[in-house]
Amino acid sequence: MTDTVKQILDRLYPEGYMGRSGKVYTDTGDFMRITGGDVIVLAGEHYLVLRDEVERSFGVEDPKYWVKRCRHLESGERRILKLVFYETFSLSMGEMKIPCYRSPRKEARILDRVRNDPRFMQGFSAEDSAGNNVRVLYVVQGKRLDHWIDDLKVDHPTYFETHLPGILEKFIVSCQAINDLHRMGEKHGDIRRDHLWVTYDTGDYVWIDFDYTFNFHENPFGLDIFGLGGLLLYLVGKGFYSHEEIGRIPGSSEHVPDIGPDDFLLVFKNRLANLQKIFPYIPDPLNQVLMHFASGTRVYYETLDEFINDLTTCLKQMG
Amino acid sequence: MDIHKILIAVDGSKNAERAIEYVADITRGAGDFVIKLLSIEHLPDRDFFADDPAWKDACVKAREKLLGFLADGRDLLINSGIPEKQVHTDYVESCHSPLAEAPDYCSRGTSIALDILHVAKTERFKTVVIGRRGISKAEEFMFGSVSNRIIHAGSDCTIWVVQ
Repeated sequence: MTDTVKQILDRLYPEGYMGRSGKVYTDTGDFMRITGGDVIVLAGEHYLVLRDEVERSFGVEDPKYWVKRCRHLESGERRILKLVFYETFSLSMGEMKIPCYRSPRKEARILDRVRNDPRFMQGFSAEDSAGNNVRVLYVVQGKRLDHWIDDLKVDHPTYFETHLPGILEKFIVSCQAINDLHRMGEKHGDIRRDHLWVTYDTGDYVWIDFDYTFNFHENPFGLDIFGLGGLLLYLVGKGFYSHEEIGRIPGSSEHVPDIGPDDFLLVFKNRLANLQKIFPYIPDPLNQVLMHFASGTRVYYETLDEFINDLTTCLKQMG
Repeated sequence: MDIHKILIAVDGSKNAERAIEYVADITRGAGDFVIKLLSIEHLPDRDFFADDPAWKDACVKAREKLLGFLADGRDLLINSGIPEKQVHTDYVESCHSPLAEAPDYCSRGTSIALDILHVAKTERFKTVVIGRRGISKAEEFMFGSVSNRIIHAGSDCTIWVVQ
């Protein structure tokens, strides 16, 4: 007979939890029913569900019911369990709609391939009693890179001079990590600001969330490369700059920069790519890297090797 | 290379249909052309499916669709007056196909354009024909373009891009 949650908690975590005692689940297929106080049994180990994961944007919380924040009862440590949720959806990139798919087995495969590589989140996958591919993730002890940068309360010239070289050095390591994935025939699939984290202990950057996939046969890594370009733009600018934000930069009312459509990103046409127009101390080589992602570009990065080589040269010149 | 050997690369799309019709029109009455319709297998992404049987099923359907397209294209060329023995079809399987049976040459799936040019070079085609749908700059960056890549990477052959 299966243990109840209370029996499991009494045995494995006797003084650690005072909340609701729910049900024991070995089949995670109906993830909407699994909630705080339930226990998921996976590969003989027990995970007490604390709550559903939420994504926060613009002050609104969007629950991700298939992602459970858990306590691993055998170790007492926190874990994130990603349950199987097959989803096909259109990713909006500017005016383009890109068909995407959430693939548990892609993420499980990448977790295997990046095991012990600190540039990526760590974890493993295991099948529940119904054969669902559940990914058990170790929590990254850190914070989102963009939040970490936002918290640097310095003006842009100071940021550029003092912080950016160190950030770029670590970012190049992160780009190389993605390049290594590409060499394995894999893609990250969802490179964006909230998927690169800074660890509290080492300050190194860690990629998270590999379950998106898409199917571009002639340029399989194009979306990853564009994602890295967008992230670089954020890092160099300490944020993105729309027309409105450019007008709010100190001094911009006296010296209105000559900015045209070609200066903005190719895909997100409200984000300035030609940052040199508002921050003239950005050196030409670095600005040229950014301009590869601008509407006016005639040359794209086809591989990350070229992008990384250019960035490495820029970093050397900045030092 | 033989100037009268034409390779038409097709993917089952309307653009490919236009490319075949164009070649049929332009070679009408000139009986000494040898034409090959070439399709490179592009498998549905395995990660898009919950399990291998579902993926294999989709691969079978995709293959049937392309083979049907090749047969229809061949009929169109023959009906336009090109002798039957001068119209050929070729279906290059993906190296990762669950249906492949150790083909001599297979597509690694990294570039359809380079696969097409490989066949053109190996079989000494002087003319390569491809349809294109016309894509935006942003789409080209993100998705890549088979026709653009053929134009840039092709050598020792003439490229016809039918729009």
